[in-house]
Amino acid sequence: MSSHPTGALPAHPETATLEGKNKVMGFWLFLGAEVVLFGCLFATYIALRNHVTDGPTAEEIFKLKTVGWSTFILLTSSLTSVLAIIAMHKHKLGQLLFWLLITVLFGLSFLGLEIFEFNEYVKEGHKFVSSAFGTSFYTLVGFHGAHVAFGVTWITLLILQGLRKGLTVVTAPKFYVASLYWHFVDLVWVFIFTVVYLMGKVGH
Amino acid sequence: MAHSHTVKRYSGLMDWLTTVDHKKIGILYLLAGGFFFLVGGVEAILIRLQLLYPDQSLFVGDTFNQLTTMHGTTMIFFAAMPLIFGFMNAVVPLQIGARDVAFPFVNALGFWLFFAGGVLMNTSWFLGGAPDAGWTGYAPLSTIADNAGNFHGTDFYVLGLQIAGIGTLIGGINFLVTIINMRAPGMTYMRMPMFTWTAFITSAMIVLAFPAITVALVELMFDRIFGGAFFDAARGGNNVLWEHLFWIFGHPEVYILILPGFGIISEVVATFSKKRLFGYSSMVFASVLIGFLGFMVWIHHMFTTGMGPVANSIFAIATMAIAVPTGVKIFNWLFTLWGGQIRFTTANLFATAFIPTFVMGGTTGVMLAVPAADFQYHDTYFVVAHFHYVIVGGIVLSLFAGLFYWWPKMFGTMLSEKLGKWQFWFFFIGFHMTFFPQHFLGLMGMPRRVFTYLPGQGLEEGNFISTIGAGLMGIGTIILLINIIATSTKKVTAPADPWDARTLEWTIPSPAPEYNFKQTPLVRGLDALWKEKMEGKKEMTPAEPLGSIHMPSPSILPLVMSVGLFIAGFGFMYRHYLISGIGIGITLICMFLRSVYDDHGWHIEPEELKDKGVKA
Amino acid sequence: MSSNSHDTSTPGKRHKQESPANHYYSYILSILLTILAFAVVIYGGLDRSFILVFIVSLAIVQALVQLLFWMHAKERGHLFPLMFIGGGAIIALTGVAAAVYWTWW
Repeated sequence: MSSHPTGALPAHPETATLEGKNKVMGFWLFLGAEVVLFGCLFATYIALRNHVTDGPTAEEIFKLKTVGWSTFILLTSSLTSVLAIIAMHKHKLGQLLFWLLITVLFGLSFLGLEIFEFNEYVKEGHKFVSSAFGTSFYTLVGFHGAHVAFGVTWITLLILQGLRKGLTVVTAPKFYVASLYWHFVDLVWVFIFTVVYLMGKVGH
Repeated sequence: MAHSHTVKRYSGLMDWLTTVDHKKIGILYLLAGGFFFLVGGVEAILIRLQLLYPDQSLFVGDTFNQLTTMHGTTMIFFAAMPLIFGFMNAVVPLQIGARDVAFPFVNALGFWLFFAGGVLMNTSWFLGGAPDAGWTGYAPLSTIADNAGNFHGTDFYVLGLQIAGIGTLIGGINFLVTIINMRAPGMTYMRMPMFTWTAFITSAMIVLAFPAITVALVELMFDRIFGGAFFDAARGGNNVLWEHLFWIFGHPEVYILILPGFGIISEVVATFSKKRLFGYSSMVFASVLIGFLGFMVWIHHMFTTGMGPVANSIFAIATMAIAVPTGVKIFNWLFTLWGGQIRFTTANLFATAFIPTFVMGGTTGVMLAVPAADFQYHDTYFVVAHFHYVIVGGIVLSLFAGLFYWWPKMFGTMLSEKLGKWQFWFFFIGFHMTFFPQHFLGLMGMPRRVFTYLPGQGLEEGNFISTIGAGLMGIGTIILLINIIATSTKKVTAPADPWDARTLEWTIPSPAPEYNFKQTPLVRGLDALWKEKMEGKKEMTPAEPLGSIHMPSPSILPLVMSVGLFIAGFGFMYRHYLISGIGIGITLICMFLRSVYDDHGWHIEPEELKDKGVKA
Repeated sequence: MSSNSHDTSTPGKRHKQESPANHYYSYILSILLTILAFAVVIYGGLDRSFILVFIVSLAIVQALVQLLFWMHAKERGHLFPLMFIGGGAIIALTGVAAAVYWTWW
């Protein structure tokens, strides 16, 4: 029968149990599904991005400076989540939770910046209902933002769980999987800033 | 060994509502899928009654459209898929020597989500009318929405399918991880039974195909409910986009439906020929190829949209290519039967009847794959005949085979062979009577989805025979119901291995005990049980000593989460977003509880294992 | 393959202590790739199709860097994860192809 953790945590606590291995594998498969999900949202956006009817075009409306900052923030938050996992592999709970907290703060800044950006666009006449371009833009970028929001909430709750339960072979997979999720969210953003914003600025 | 926490055990209804046991979840899927199969069957009978004679007015106009839409949607998503998941749940962990699936809680959640979606969509019958835009929901027909609540049916389609689809997706992830991580020692990938292989490939296809329909439904929902412009041409939207997204999902979906059927046929044919499956490696390879190619052919549903000869040709060739690995499988089954000691039990009757029937459906598929010819066949009854041959003649016949084959392992009783044979002949003859004439109706020009036809066009005889055939299929189904009821009352107990079979599920008692295997078996070759039998052994060699067995705890959360999404669905359909918020909130709170309160499970101690002959 | 019972840690196994250096290099590389993409678009001057191909290639490279290093996908035991991410990417590409080549007004 499985014994309670004896004391020394293994080097990779997230895959030390069958349960942990299953969770990590299952999450990777879920990410595969998410690749297809975002892929279809990108396909829709690519098909519809030039159909603006009377509204502003991508070239006219996108604010690259804001997007540049958002990209930098999200990329850095992905780095801090890596540092969190390195701390976890060194069994340093305090450092793990610290880096996760920084990740959350960066994530919240990203969201704040995105809300500000959308607000500006709506004021300038680029709305969800304006045109097919508008609908597909807000759906794609909004879905990504929703993923960021979910991740921020999830990681915050994990930080609280970590404070209560510590680092064990049961909590380790949770931290690891959340970190994979966060990296994935940044990975999707790489394609968003390229395909939506940069391609938008290149023009029709 | 004392338990440090109280063990929560339920009985009766609560046991079923909180179960995370794959065997019980399998039975729940069979029950729910069976129920929706009857609902879809009634819808089919009503359609055929309307078409019995020309110019009838039993069910016309929008009512007829609701019947055809719901018949298709129900049969595919709420009957066939759940029945497949039922067998995957009941059989796959046993075939790989595992004690449960990788994520028992998520397994239960998948079931309840499917059930919530199916119920939600069917409440539409009582709430102003069912969806009526076809099971394919093409825009712009499906985007018609108004604030007065007319054309409401499609909202039920969008939300019901979305909720059920999430259930299917997580089910797919579950079986993949189970098969990757939890096979018994010695069971390499190339020693897995064919049903497990097809379950594996099907699950991979589910994970990669369902997100496309998720996106399609999200876009349709945004257009209908939030005023989006994805499919609104006036604001720059595009309807071909819906077709692409739908069929990028929809084509793999039909291979998701048929591959497990192929797996069942492989098991049944080998067992009842007393011979190992011919060409196992090529079967595996062919199945993988079908899985992969299935994603590369979707435009054959769109030949007539005007994409031009280049696109049409590429996809025509890809479509015809799929016939090759499928043909490999057919020949392998025939070579398995050839020279075997064949027993025609009911299961094997269904399996051998499957082979020519499916071939007929497959060949009309190759006919449809020729774009120039498809311009004639498209949207006629020829297409209807094709897909019913592969779906009913394919998946339904194999599901019946699987039911008779695995019933003893699931329930510990045996279905009556006599009633089974009556069912078979009524259903099989009825099936061909229903759908064979439809090829000719299509060739003579009868379009799909029409609620009547004129007399004097040569369509009367075909439609008449077709409807009689549907009646015979109905009688066959009723005989099955009688069989099930009679078996439940009779209590004839089944042995562990009633068929003298070849794979691991037959090494444990019937019905399977709660913990599946007292000791995880050691697998020494393909057809693990048969290998032991051929060496004169009666049982498997265990791979571990007797020890206490960890079991996951039951939970009511999966049901509550599904109810939450059900409520949210209604909120969205009726534009009451506070209700949606509450529903989603319920689901999120359950997710939070599940994360925070770790499941320590409970243990079955060796002393409690009732069976004799325990190896130390 | 793996047994079904809980498989607790193997304290004797030595793991190569991962250095954060590789991760910092990945970060800097990602920043550089991002700046390059932004610069090419803002300062323009080049042929439009070239810019499009170039920035998409930069995105793919950056995505691979993050996937292989930050998500540990180049380490042992990541065959299935890579197959599924790769499979998903192939299907996503077919979807994009449909949107680009087989959609029209």
